[in-house]
Amino acid sequence: MFRLESAKVTFQGKDALTDITLSIPEGQKVALIGRSGAGKSTLLNLLYQQRPEDISLVPQDYGLVSSLSLYHNVYMGKLGTRPLWYNLMNLVRPFKQSSDDVQSVLAELQLDDKLFEPVAQLSGGQQQRAAIARAMIQPSEILCADEPVSSLDEQQSKLVMGILCKRFQTLVLAMHDIDLALEYCDRIIGLDMGRITMDAQTAALKRSDLLELYGE
Amino acid sequence: MITHMKRVFGSLLVMLSLTAVSNIALSAPRTLVFSAIPDQNQTRLVERFGKVADYLTETLGVPVRYVPVNSYAAAITAFRNNQVQLAWFGGLSGVRARLLVPGSEAIAQGQEDTEFKTYFIAHHSAGLKPVDGFPAEMANKTFTFGSKGSTSGRLMPEFYIREFFGKTPEEVFDKVGFSGNHSRTVALVQSGSYQVGATNYKVWEKELADGKIDASKVSVIWQTPTYPTTNGVFVVM
Amino acid sequence: MANNSVQLRRSMRWKISWLFILLAAVCLPFSDLSINTYDPWGELGRLFSGLLQPSLSAIDKPFHALLQTIAFAILGVSAGSLIGFGLAQVFHFKLIRILCASIRAVHELFWALIFLQIFGLHPLTGLLALGLPYAATFAKVYAEILEEGDRRPYDRVQQTAGRVSAFFYARLPDLWQHFVTYTGYRLECGLRSSAVLGFVGLPTLGYYLSTAFMEGVYTEVWALLILFYLVIATMRYWLRPKLLPLYLLVAPFIIANDSEISLENVVRFFSIDIVPSPLRNGEGLAGLWQWLAELVMTEALPGIINTLLLTQLALVLTGVLALFWFPFISKLFFQRFGRLLGNLFLVVMRSTPEYILAFILLMLWGPSMLPAVIALALHNGAIIGHLIGRYSDGIRLRINAPKGLNRYAYEVVPRVYNQFLAFLFYRWEIIQRETAILGILGITTLGFYIDSAIQDIRLDKAVVLIVITAALNVLIDGISHTIRARLRLSVSPQ
Repeated sequence: MFRLESAKVTFQGKDALTDITLSIPEGQKVALIGRSGAGKSTLLNLLYQQRPEDISLVPQDYGLVSSLSLYHNVYMGKLGTRPLWYNLMNLVRPFKQSSDDVQSVLAELQLDDKLFEPVAQLSGGQQQRAAIARAMIQPSEILCADEPVSSLDEQQSKLVMGILCKRFQTLVLAMHDIDLALEYCDRIIGLDMGRITMDAQTAALKRSDLLELYGE
Repeated sequence: MITHMKRVFGSLLVMLSLTAVSNIALSAPRTLVFSAIPDQNQTRLVERFGKVADYLTETLGVPVRYVPVNSYAAAITAFRNNQVQLAWFGGLSGVRARLLVPGSEAIAQGQEDTEFKTYFIAHHSAGLKPVDGFPAEMANKTFTFGSKGSTSGRLMPEFYIREFFGKTPEEVFDKVGFSGNHSRTVALVQSGSYQVGATNYKVWEKELADGKIDASKVSVIWQTPTYPTTNGVFVVM
Repeated sequence: MANNSVQLRRSMRWKISWLFILLAAVCLPFSDLSINTYDPWGELGRLFSGLLQPSLSAIDKPFHALLQTIAFAILGVSAGSLIGFGLAQVFHFKLIRILCASIRAVHELFWALIFLQIFGLHPLTGLLALGLPYAATFAKVYAEILEEGDRRPYDRVQQTAGRVSAFFYARLPDLWQHFVTYTGYRLECGLRSSAVLGFVGLPTLGYYLSTAFMEGVYTEVWALLILFYLVIATMRYWLRPKLLPLYLLVAPFIIANDSEISLENVVRFFSIDIVPSPLRNGEGLAGLWQWLAELVMTEALPGIINTLLLTQLALVLTGVLALFWFPFISKLFFQRFGRLLGNLFLVVMRSTPEYILAFILLMLWGPSMLPAVIALALHNGAIIGHLIGRYSDGIRLRINAPKGLNRYAYEVVPRVYNQFLAFLFYRWEIIQRETAILGILGITTLGFYIDSAIQDIRLDKAVVLIVITAALNVLIDGISHTIRARLRLSVSPQ
């Protein structure tokens, strides 16, 4: 599914990632952990660039259009699957079928009462779930998400992680919550100063080891 | 042309020496500034009046400078504000200048200006034929004057329109525009943008000679009776 | 298909947009938009063939005129910016606000015509005609920038450091970039205004441009226009903040001429020229009343109606064009080469005086409101398109954002729309002012009557009409301000 061989990324003259060799098979659920600035987001973007058309992406800053309704923001995940005229019409007047589709995804995420609210009116956690809904509605089996549950409380985090694991075959998630990573992912990759410092199956890892190295 | 102008201006000299001398008496030689209404191509005006200025400088012994302006009102205002002491006006602007500057005088007139006339021109699509009497059929067409302050492009044609119809041009015509100057009037009527227009006969003849007029598109449908414009030079006394 | 039960909550800006479109639609039946012309191609052919061989040879001093244009712009805008900065500090006084709104409400061309009466061709005429309305505009925008900035650091420091130091330490550094950006933008406007002042006789590019144009010497027209496009397009290369002091030092020598100010003329203007003629002729208040009533009924009212019709139509079309054009210069849509073409097009559209655009369209369509509406919309649409395009470069999209028209409709327009409306409402009063200079089309706007009064040397009439125009503009400005406040729109970069 993904394969990187001694990959290197420089950003503004500094090495953001060095010597990344990595392969992720289909169906694996991977957590990228590390302190901020370790290179998680860069690695996530690097993976995304490998096959952008097959991947749903949740960027760290969500990339929502705050003056549009929640519905339209989520619908954006479907833009590529619909003809242009449909998209433009839908902007002015939502189509029933699409709004039902969006509604059902939002219902899973417990956000369906806000369908036509402008995103600017939503709380941080609601906005994060909106970005997740947009990724979910996209017809792809791979998810790359940058801190997808960072603004959610524990209960909601678990709900969302469960939904994501069910919805997508392959997951690559940048995370800082080690407990969640251990609970929901098969494999954990640790990053520090732009290098992979650890790569192991979850089953072989202990919470305390991870906390020491990568806890925040 | 030049000899004609020389004759006209030759007759001014006596008058001008008086003003010039009084200027000199007051201070060091001050420049006598002179201007003209933009009723002709600017380049031609600069050429023509530039020569006059040179001639006057030489003859009067005071610096004389010609400054071009781009509107009738600007010429009048400059004359009134004494920024211009000598100016070439038309009929209407001459009267205005004299009213605004008490004591100013017309001191010369061009020869052709004693018998001036305005051409009414029409685009062929308007279906107007040249007539001897007043072209009454032009009512309800679109119509353009030249500059708002022009004698031949505004005052005289408006006079004849009002006289014949007993109504204002706005009431007579479908639309009334002000093209800005005579050659714009010709261009706008020739393109059919306006169906009828009024223009200075000299400008028309000049454009005709220059081959800028397509006779299949625009033609003269009526000419006003000749009128003397006091086109001429005015001086502040 | 579309579902009626879907309850999309329409935002305020959505409703306002439709309100204005509706208003324009209501104006349509009352506006003459007919097309009637027959042989436009002869003259237009001559016009565009002039483009093939632009020539400056017949013009006496084209580069002198260019220098004058730049010098007047730099001096006028700098003076305006300094005075405006001062006024912005006291902008909370209602009197100052009203004063600025009234000054702003009069088009630069009319200021120039007024000062021409008083000072003739003395450089002061051009300086004041530019500086005065610019100062009033600067005052307003600077005040808004100050208002939106974060006051808290200032409030904390002020108690111990005193107001002036606190201002320079705690407020200015934060807002400086906003001031610089806006002032830079106004310099471009200043160049355009300065060029256009030539239309009424100042020795800038517009003088030669209007002369060449009126005489149909299109080779010169194009040469002058191209010269002007170049100056505008290369502004960011020659107009460096570091060079500004040098320019300011040289400019006064460029605009200096030997005309003198006569106190007599100044006094006469105020004591005789602008006194209504019935009072001058001793007809008393009854005469004055009759004079005013006639002026209002025959000129002011029809003028107001036509001005408003033209403004509302042009405003909506301006908005449409701006939204259509801005992507062509935006990094979100086009690569370097595409953007270069887009920029070139917008420079041409916004630097060609509306007057010339209107004339070309008049040739094509004949006299009606149509050429006026389109000419105003082309010019102003290009200005707003330029501003929105530049603003959109600051937007950072997610890396998986859609492309093409989907990106335009879903990602970009919703994000720039507030800014777009802010610019458009700012432009509203400006469009209204600009309706003034389209008398060639036979549309009797207020500006048409003002021009007529000045051509007839009836300054008393002209001044009354200018005051009425200003009042109308102040009104529009007030409405625009209310709307912008309701929508929380601001033109200063966030």
